[in-house]
Amino acid sequence: MTTNEIKAAAPACDTCPFHHTANLMKLGVDMEDWDYVIALAGNPNTGKSTVFNALTGLHQHTGNWPGKTVTRAEGGFDYGEKRYKLVDLPGTYSLLSTTLDEEIARDFILFGQPDVTVVVVDATRLERNLNLVLQVLEITDRAVVCLNLMDEAQRHGFKVDDRRLARDLGVPVVPTVARYDKGMDKLLQAICDVATHRTICNPHRIQHLAPDLKQNVSQIAAQIKAVFPDLPNARWVALRLLDGDERIAEAIRQGELGDLTSGAPPDQSNLIHPIRLETV
Amino acid sequence: MPAPLIALLVTALLIILAFLLFRPERGIIPRYRNTRYLSSRVYSEDALKHIYHCQLSGDRPSIESIAGALHITTDEAAGLLSQMENRGLLQLQENAICLTSTGREMALHIIRAHRLWERHLADETGYSELEWHDRAERHEHALSPEEVDALSAHLGHPSYDPHGDPIPTVDGELISLDAAPLTSADLHTPLHIVHIEDEPQSLYAQLVAEGLHPGMQVRLIERSPERILFWANGDEHVLAPIVAANISVSPLPEEYRTKPIYKGRLADLKPGESGEVQSISPACRGLERRRLMDLGVLPGTVIKSEINSPSGDPTAYRIRGAVIALREEQSNHIHITRFNQETA
Amino acid sequence: MFKEAQITANDILSSAKAARLQIRCNVHESLVEAIYTDAARIADRAVNRPGDEPRFDLDRTIDRLVTSRTWGFPIMLLLFTLVFWITISGANVPSGWLFSLFIDVIYPSLKNAAEALALPWWLSGFLIDGVYLSTAWVISVMLPPMAIFFPLFTLLEDFGYLPRVAFNLDNFFKKSGAHGKQSLSMMMGFGCNAAGVVATRIIDSPRERLIAIITNNFSLCNGRWPTQILIATIFIGALVPAHVAGLISALSVVGVAIFGVLLTFAVSWALSRTWLKGEASTFSLELPPYRPPRILQTIYTSIIDRTIIVLWRAVIFAMPAGAFIWLISNINISGISIAAHMIDFLNPFGLLLGLNGVILLAYVVAIPANEIVIPSILMLTVMVAGLTNISPGAGVIFELDSQADTLAVLNVGGWTLLTAINTMLFSLIHNPCSTTIYTIYKETGSRKWTIISTLLPLGMGIAVTFLVAQVWRLVEAIL
Repeated sequence: MTTNEIKAAAPACDTCPFHHTANLMKLGVDMEDWDYVIALAGNPNTGKSTVFNALTGLHQHTGNWPGKTVTRAEGGFDYGEKRYKLVDLPGTYSLLSTTLDEEIARDFILFGQPDVTVVVVDATRLERNLNLVLQVLEITDRAVVCLNLMDEAQRHGFKVDDRRLARDLGVPVVPTVARYDKGMDKLLQAICDVATHRTICNPHRIQHLAPDLKQNVSQIAAQIKAVFPDLPNARWVALRLLDGDERIAEAIRQGELGDLTSGAPPDQSNLIHPIRLETV
Repeated sequence: MPAPLIALLVTALLIILAFLLFRPERGIIPRYRNTRYLSSRVYSEDALKHIYHCQLSGDRPSIESIAGALHITTDEAAGLLSQMENRGLLQLQENAICLTSTGREMALHIIRAHRLWERHLADETGYSELEWHDRAERHEHALSPEEVDALSAHLGHPSYDPHGDPIPTVDGELISLDAAPLTSADLHTPLHIVHIEDEPQSLYAQLVAEGLHPGMQVRLIERSPERILFWANGDEHVLAPIVAANISVSPLPEEYRTKPIYKGRLADLKPGESGEVQSISPACRGLERRRLMDLGVLPGTVIKSEINSPSGDPTAYRIRGAVIALREEQSNHIHITRFNQETA
Repeated sequence: MFKEAQITANDILSSAKAARLQIRCNVHESLVEAIYTDAARIADRAVNRPGDEPRFDLDRTIDRLVTSRTWGFPIMLLLFTLVFWITISGANVPSGWLFSLFIDVIYPSLKNAAEALALPWWLSGFLIDGVYLSTAWVISVMLPPMAIFFPLFTLLEDFGYLPRVAFNLDNFFKKSGAHGKQSLSMMMGFGCNAAGVVATRIIDSPRERLIAIITNNFSLCNGRWPTQILIATIFIGALVPAHVAGLISALSVVGVAIFGVLLTFAVSWALSRTWLKGEASTFSLELPPYRPPRILQTIYTSIIDRTIIVLWRAVIFAMPAGAFIWLISNINISGISIAAHMIDFLNPFGLLLGLNGVILLAYVVAIPANEIVIPSILMLTVMVAGLTNISPGAGVIFELDSQADTLAVLNVGGWTLLTAINTMLFSLIHNPCSTTIYTIYKETGSRKWTIISTLLPLGMGIAVTFLVAQVWRLVEAIL
């Protein structure tokens, strides 16, 4: 594909300051046929929407605010002759509480089964952001960590060792400055590698559980493994059951969890929630 | 009389009328609904609950005690009891009132509904502690067994209500609390509150005002007929024995004893000072508690007070790298050990 | 096979249930602790800090300035005055251009084209005088201020200043049971209520978010400022000597806006203690690091995101409104137009509120967009009074060039000082426009709260204007 052709296909690109990556062509919200689904998770205010825009060219407003994206935004891009659908999840601190945002994000990663989950991380506040990363890694073993805001980390005078981090987390870690479009090509490559199984992740799993909890978890996880042998996250499911998460219990009862292992994408129509404010 | 005056008077009359009709609790329409709610079914359900509680605590239910609990005359109570006997809910023997198995089942259902609803009110709504009991007292009659099961599942099958009362399981199992009133506890031993009685409300209001909650660590210091002096989570409390008797305690399990008692609250920190989190008070529940924990407020977290709002509240704290503003009532719930070194 | 899986699935659930009763620690809390323990360990190994603390922390220095007791509020006031001043003074010129383009250039040529094509009068009237004119009106009044206000606001937001405003003001909002971030959705509401309602997304506590949504309408929006300014200038400015007239009428408009802010607090307070008492509530406010905003990109995205979307919705609602106005003024039943019938019907009630039937009907037809209140009032007054020499035709909304002409028309319509004051009050306190109502429905997903946010201000507006009118008349009668 020549540069001219790309320009012809995407005339709106003249006005946008983003990506010059040759293989990348934005598709707007044209979602007819795609090869891979990528979920974008992250804490509020980590530049997640900026990463989304840099990848898709969609102009979703990006405020310096926690909690901007309430409903799900979707976009798409081409890379290496494959078409990727990118889904921007609500920015959350965690996936454990029962707020609607977190439920949407959690359900999408668990039931939407994205080929890759990209977690955008603020390099200046790594510890807090890893809280979410570790939770995502409990649910899925196909993830890429986008270590964003590297310029700010530098400005604040500290270095983040992305290789060390990648080794500890067991997934690719790509340092970026999404605002200035730095590192986006490497991020794309990492996404592509995980999506096409060229990179096999070996994600970190939480270690320091309380002793009596640990024992119960492994017992139940073993049972889950027996029923759903292909499930990548039996231990996490066991933890959720012990926490009394009725959504997960229901998924087990209905065999929905079994469907996830078959590889068929489930019906996603139920994932679009209206914002519900009333209590029971 | 000028027309505007008439218009104003008519409006004033309409407002007064609407006030009389719709005033919460005491208006004519709420009262009417109240009397309808006090139907015979509700009376019999409340009577079942009363009898069940009497049996649990070893008292003997009588017509008089039922009349007292339900605020009805003894004649009405006698009529109610014979009605309930006809429906096979209880057996009236000489001087004794016994529940049949159906009656027992129904009583447990009502108790389960009541306690689960209180749990829901505590964790998922903004109603104050003082309102939980009355609201649950009304709502318990409106829930079917299926709805109660759904509620329990929705709440993650909790085992205790917010006062520390065990919630009966679907199969009607009820854990018995191994607890003694604070008034009869041993002096100077580590204890923790397992239950706080929510009736009568005037006494409960005092306990709430003291900030006492199930889960708190206490230590009895002094006991006299006039007053009970004790420490709860580092604060000194003095209560009249009649009030303190509504707190039930049990010995603190061994593994929790090593935890140091906290030395201050996050709210006490001045800008520039820092401390290490010991615990989040049990008074902080539900969404609020989870949010704090998600933000990284956990035992061992070091928090530094950064800046105070020019309007006095909230205060911004540095918590695990991010600057997060918390209101005073939140930072009051966070117990910390203050760091001594000056970090100016 | 399936049956077996079913049985084992139940086994999992029952063993989980049994384990739950056994476990003594709180599962949720020990899980969160475990995750953070691991997170801290991993972060510690990956992050390398040369020194302990940077000597000079720019963020904290800015924070100390913008949240200081002495300078915090003055800086805030200054910045927002600046934003509003740039918006108001900057919007006039492009507004005038658009106006002359749409009304003076395109409108006559459309009319000529219709004549050349020999379109029947009712078709060209319906399409050009009705649909086109009201849409053109809404765009030229609404677009310029929004295209200035939203980017400016967004720049402050991107820099990271707005969370500090919420931080500074939270205590006042807390006292009325609301969230400090409501200060921002409220300010956004001065630009456009629909955008203000969307902006409440930043409030993560259910109760406080609902309060912010319901009370957003009390922020005097961009579409209502022209009404306020025009009426204040004509009626209130006329009460005082000419050299202070401008100042007094400006002050009275600001007074109405401040009254709206006070109402926001009062209604927030009342709601949090009654209807919304049971909603769950929590507070957290992150003060993000300051980031230099990327100006061009911000202007581009905020115009795309906020301005165009809001404008598009307004246009969608303005078109049928224009059509409706034209139809009711041109369809006659027993010799009188439907509009006249409606005015007759509404008039007694309007007079009770110190308004009149024309004003009420104008507010009904202006539900889609508050911008067309004044043009509709003028058009309807002219029509009812039969002043055919002024009006360009029945159902054609217009504005008069001079304020004296406007005053003359309104005097013919029976306006007094009371009518003017109550029109200003009613403009502040009435149902939100249909764009906002639709936005509220989309944001809350609840019919109940949409209806409450629509009817509550309407009921309050009726009550306030009624009281003012009756007390006013009583005092007049006594004097």
